Amino acid sequence: MRCTPSAPFVLSTSRRYHEAFTRLVATPGLRTIVLEMAPVSTVDSAGAAVLKTWQKECGARGINLELSQAAPQVEAFLRFAGFFEKPTARPAPSKKRSPLPERLGVAAVRLWNDTRDLIQFIGGVTVAVGPCCFNPKRFRPREILYYIQQSGPEAVPIVFLVSFLMGLIMAFQAAVQLRQFGANIFVADLVSLALTRELGPLMTAIILAGRSAAAFAAEIGTMKVNEEVDALTVMGFEITEFLVMPKVVALAVSGPLLTVFANASGILGGIVVGVLSLDLTPASFILEVWQILTVGDVAGGLVKSLAFAVVVALVGCFRGLQTERTADSVGRMTTSAVVTSIFLIILTDAVFTIIFHVFSW
Amino acid sequence: MKRNETRSDVEEAVIRTENLTVGYGETVVLQGVTFHVAKGEIVTILGGSGCGKSTLLKALIGLIPPLGGSVWVAGHPIVGPDRQEALEAVRRKIGVLFQSGALLGSFTLADNVALPLEEFTDLPKALIDEIVHTKLAAVGLADYAQYMPMELSGGMRKRAALARAMALDPEILFCDEPSAGLDPVTAAELDTLLLQLNEALGITLVVITHELASILAISQRSIMLDSEAKGIIAQGSPRDLQEKSTDPKVLAFFHRNPSLLAQAAGSTTP
Ligand SMILES: Nc1ncnc2c1ncn2[C@@H]1O[C@H](COP(=O)(O)OP(=O)(O)OP(=O)(O)O)[C@@H](O)[C@H]1O
Ligand SMILES: [Mg+2]
Repeated sequence: MRCTPSAPFVLSTSRRYHEAFTRLVATPGLRTIVLEMAPVSTVDSAGAAVLKTWQKECGARGINLELSQAAPQVEAFLRFAGFFEKPTARPAPSKKRSPLPERLGVAAVRLWNDTRDLIQFIGGVTVAVGPCCFNPKRFRPREILYYIQQSGPEAVPIVFLVSFLMGLIMAFQAAVQLRQFGANIFVADLVSLALTRELGPLMTAIILAGRSAAAFAAEIGTMKVNEEVDALTVMGFEITEFLVMPKVVALAVSGPLLTVFANASGILGGIVVGVLSLDLTPASFILEVWQILTVGDVAGGLVKSLAFAVVVALVGCFRGLQTERTADSVGRMTTSAVVTSIFLIILTDAVFTIIFHVFSW
Repeated sequence: MKRNETRSDVEEAVIRTENLTVGYGETVVLQGVTFHVAKGEIVTILGGSGCGKSTLLKALIGLIPPLGGSVWVAGHPIVGPDRQEALEAVRRKIGVLFQSGALLGSFTLADNVALPLEEFTDLPKALIDEIVHTKLAAVGLADYAQYMPMELSGGMRKRAALARAMALDPEILFCDEPSAGLDPVTAAELDTLLLQLNEALGITLVVITHELASILAISQRSIMLDSEAKGIIAQGSPRDLQEKSTDPKVLAFFHRNPSLLAQAAGSTTP
C-alpha cells in the first residue's frame, strides 16, 4: 500500500496523522506500507515521534514500513531522532505494587527505625546539654533569645485568640446546663480547672507545634539542602549543641510562659460569658476561681507544658535533620514535624494523666 | 619540586588511603582507591560528572564513613572505633570549600568567616575582626562584609566560602569544584589565589575540578576517577597524562574529544 502524506509532520498535525494511521493499520491483510515523503518539507520532534510509533506498531504486526524520497533535511532530522536505528526496548517503568503484607511489614520496620532514631536523637541532645550546664558561654544566649522572641511574643496574638475563644465556648456550653440548677457560679470552677489542668497546656503546645516545630524543621532542613549542616560538621561544630539546643531551651522558656498567658486569656473568656449571660460580676467570678484553683493544678499544668514544649522542639529539629537533599523533602519533613509533634504531645499528655492519677495530684 | 613517588613521599603524606571503598549504604561508588597526597602538594581530582569525586571528598573529610579500607588524614586514621576522636582532631586542621559554597544563610559574610574563629579560639573581638577583614580582602570581598549570602552572586559566594574555609589557616584545604560557574577571568583569579595560599602558607590542596585550564595551571599531580571502573584509572602529572597516557578515557578528557572514547568502545565491543 502506498500513502502520500502532504502535510508536514509537525506538532499541529501529529494527532490527525496518528488517528488516520490507527485506522489504516487495522486493515486486514496489509503487508507493506510505503510512505511517499517527497511532498513533506518539515518534520519536528512530535512528527518524528509519530513516525517512530508507526514503525514500532508495524513491527509488532509484521507490516513492512518504508519511507521513500524523503527530503535531505527531513532525513537528517529523522536520523537525529533515531528513526533509522534499530528500535531498542525501553525499560518499562516498574510500578509494581508490592503485596499488602509486604507493604505493612516495610511500614512497621520503618516506624520502628524512626522511633529508635528519635530516641537516639533525644539521648544525644541530653548528653550535649550536660557539659553546657557547667559552661554557660556554650549556651549561646544570642540564639536562645532570638528563638524565644520567635516562638514566644510572636505567638501571643494567636494564643490569646484561641484560648479566649476556648474559654468563651466552654463557659457558654456549661452555662446552658448549669443555669437550670441555678449553679451559675460553678461555670468559673469548670472553666478555670479545665483550662489550667488540661486545655491551656494542650492548646498552647499544639499552636507551638504548628508554628515552631514547622519553623525549626524547615530551617534545619533548608540548611541541610544547602550543605550548611555538612559545612558546620566539617568545621568541627557539634550539630546538637549549635542547632538543636538553643531551640530546645528557647521553647522550654516560652512554652510555659505562653501557657500562663493562655490560661489567663481563657478565664477572661469565661468572665465575659459569666457577666453577659449569667449575671455574675467579674469580681465574684475571679473570687471563685481563686478559691477553687490550687497551686498543684497550676503547677501540674505548667510541668506538662514544659514537657510539651521540649517535645515540640526536639521533634522539629529531628525532622529537620532527617531531611534529604531535595526541596520536596523539606516540605515532607515539615509536615511530618507537625504531625509527629501533635501525636507525641497527646501521648505525653496521656502519660502525665496516669502519673498525676497515681500520685493523686 | 620532584614528583617521583618515593618511599619518603608516602611517609610524609598528609593524606593516605589504602584500598578505600566509598558509597552510600549498599551502593558502592568507588572501590580499591589507593593514593597519597604529600605535604605542600596540590593534587587535582578529575573525572566525569557523577563518577564519585564529591563522594570521595566526603569520605576524606569524615562526612560519610568509608565502607572499607583505610584513610589517614593529617596523621590520624579516620576509620575504626576511634573515628570520632580522630575526626575532632582532624577537623581543626582542614578547611573545606563545598560545591555549593554552603555559607550560613542567616549570617552576614563577616559573621560566616568569624564563626569558626569565635568558636574555636579565644581571640578578642578586635583581633577576630582584623582576621576576618584580611581573609575577605584576600578573596576580593572586603566591601561586602556586611552583605548576606543571598545578596551575592554564585561566584562571590564561592569566594566568601573560601575565605571561611581559610579562617583558621588549615593545613589541608579541600575544594569541590571551586571554579564551576565562574567566568574564565574570575576562575583564573581563584586559581592564582589557591597557588598563593599554597606557596605562601604551605597549605596542601586537594582540588576537585573539571577545568582543563585549572588542572594544568595549578596541579602538580592529578588523580583521575572513572564511574565504570569505580576507581582510579590514572594518576600522575597532568602534562604527562595529557601527552603520554594511552588510556582512551584519559585522552578523551585531556583532549576534550569524546570520539576517542567511542573509538575505544568500538574496538573492545564488536
Ligand atoms: N546522598 C546520596 N545517596 C546515594 N547516592 C548518592 C548520593 N550522593 C551521590 N550519590 C551517587 O553517587 C555517585 C557519585 O556522586 P558524586 O556526587 O560523588 O559525583 P561527582 O563526581 O561529584 O559528580 P559532579 O562532577 O557532577 O559533582 C552518583 O552516581 C550518585 O548517584
Ligand atoms: Mg560533585
